[in-house]
Amino acid sequence: MAKSLYFNKEHDLVRKAVRDFVNKEINPHVDEWEEKGIAPLHDIFKKMGELGFLGIRYPEKWGGEDLDYWHEVVVLEECARIDCGGVPMAMAVQSNMATPAINDFGSDYLKETYLKPALKGDMVAAIAVTEPDAGSDVAALKTFAKKEGDHYVINGSKTFITNGTQADFLTLLARTSDDPGYHSYSLFAVPTDLPGFSISKKLDKLGMRSSDTAELFFDDMKVPAKNLIGVEGEGFIHQMMQFQHERFSIIPMAYVWSRRMIDLAVEYAKNRIVFGKPLIKKQVIRHRIAGWLTEIECLQQLTYHIVRMKMAGQDASKEISMAKLKGGELLTQVADGCLQIHGGMGLMNETRISRMYRDCRLMAIGGGANEVMSDVIANFSGL
Amino acid sequence: MKICVCVKHVPDTAATIKLAGDTAFDDADVKFISNPYDEFGIEEAVSIVEKEGGEVVIVTIGKEAATSTIRSAMAMGAHRAIHVKTDGQFLDSTLTARALKAVMEEDGLPDLIFTGKGSVDTESFQTQYRLAKSLGLPIVNEVSTLTLEGQKAIAQREIGGGEKQVLELGLPCVIGATKGLNEPRYPKFPDIMKAKKKEIKEMALSELGINEADAKVTMEKMEAVPERSGAKMIEGSVDDQVTELVRILKEEEKVI
Repeated sequence: MAKSLYFNKEHDLVRKAVRDFVNKEINPHVDEWEEKGIAPLHDIFKKMGELGFLGIRYPEKWGGEDLDYWHEVVVLEECARIDCGGVPMAMAVQSNMATPAINDFGSDYLKETYLKPALKGDMVAAIAVTEPDAGSDVAALKTFAKKEGDHYVINGSKTFITNGTQADFLTLLARTSDDPGYHSYSLFAVPTDLPGFSISKKLDKLGMRSSDTAELFFDDMKVPAKNLIGVEGEGFIHQMMQFQHERFSIIPMAYVWSRRMIDLAVEYAKNRIVFGKPLIKKQVIRHRIAGWLTEIECLQQLTYHIVRMKMAGQDASKEISMAKLKGGELLTQVADGCLQIHGGMGLMNETRISRMYRDCRLMAIGGGANEVMSDVIANFSGL
Repeated sequence: MKICVCVKHVPDTAATIKLAGDTAFDDADVKFISNPYDEFGIEEAVSIVEKEGGEVVIVTIGKEAATSTIRSAMAMGAHRAIHVKTDGQFLDSTLTARALKAVMEEDGLPDLIFTGKGSVDTESFQTQYRLAKSLGLPIVNEVSTLTLEGQKAIAQREIGGGEKQVLELGLPCVIGATKGLNEPRYPKFPDIMKAKKKEIKEMALSELGINEADAKVTMEKMEAVPERSGAKMIEGSVDDQVTELVRILKEEEKVI
């Protein structure tokens, strides 16, 4: 198997540890969390933090494990075995979306106060970038942080914020200047227990239902100046770099979920008799699945190539964008095709494919929509 | 306190076993795990040593591939291990117990020995008794609660009908662990990383003066369990169906 080219026995032990945890501590509760529309992230992260699952690549000094990208891929692949998309997404926000910038650009104070508790599972983190009028077009955001003495005063709103109702702090991107260009934004670690912060509502979504998604408001919220992450005015750049971690963390989910959906469809098609024969015997189904498997393999190998680039210290932004685009397209296509194989049963909420179909749809939108990824790739390619 | 835990590397009970020849199975693609009952022993040993100090030594008799099971035990907190390597897939309880005894005598006798209540592969349920007998130690199997008081171990075991038996043993002794004794921990990442640096002393069975050919029980033949035949539909009126059902239960299945 190709896998053994990349993973050794130590990786296998890590894989087993995460898989056991997912099977025993997460999956038995997923139906309940999906029903409630929220998962108890403080409890889940506390357990994961104690085991060291949240800080794979982070320095030991800040509560991480000091491991490499291969270990991270193992953990991401195993978290993709969770029976819903909402919970692994919450975990990815905690480890790969809201905290990398604090580690890469933050002061020791911010690392001690926010990064360490997040990696230990004592604090829940959220990434607050998207606004009602600024999604993939990040530069259109309007939330403003005005410096007044030793504070910044934040006004504005953020929407579609994952972990938004439970977060203890936000990694927030705001304008700090009205000047045009990319040097008018700053990134902040914003605790959610300060006056002026409010959660306006928990949003109702098509999929990812166990993930709490919120709309947040900031009304003259005073945040200490020491909560600025990195350099004032460089927040957009910091966030673009943080996005690379975010996008990368989504990719293993795409190939693991695509395979899982095919497994479900194959199982169904073996037992479903149509015109006297199991559905799986139909050439059209077999060839369609073979095509998906081929594309999944390509995506997985591209992912491992990206890991090798990262390990060699190379910039993999173009390749990550390609994999994110491919992942978004593939998941949507495979989810649709596998639901089609299930026929009418696929529409029943009792089938697993139905939830996966709903949860998959986000991949082509979140963390930079397919169209934005295409633009990034075009730019990198000098088009 | 020095505690030895005997850990067996067994095929996952969910694995599909394909026979290879008359007396072996194809183990190349089969997933192997720590014998689940042994994990209760590891957890108990590690917890005791965490409280009272000392060391936990894993003893495994098995093929080369058993190293992964040993590393898992070390990731749970065991300090070092001794791996006696075998060539064959099966070793009878007599030789296994002899090997365990020889290893423990050479390494220095422990204050406490854990085994699982049995292994989920061969299910002979003999090794722990043979080991205890050969070392002249007391043993209680299927222990679901254990407390240590000085040089005594108080062990509880379920004896059926919801009844529990409480037994007192002097240390050293052998404890056969079962479900209920504890909840085996998930290994922490730092412990997984530390596990790869811990010492595994490796030796061949022959170095202990044991020859696999001397086994008292030998594998004569392995056969696949025949697949269950499909459901049988009983047709006719209700009276006919009941009569036919009773006939089948009496004459064919012989269950009433």
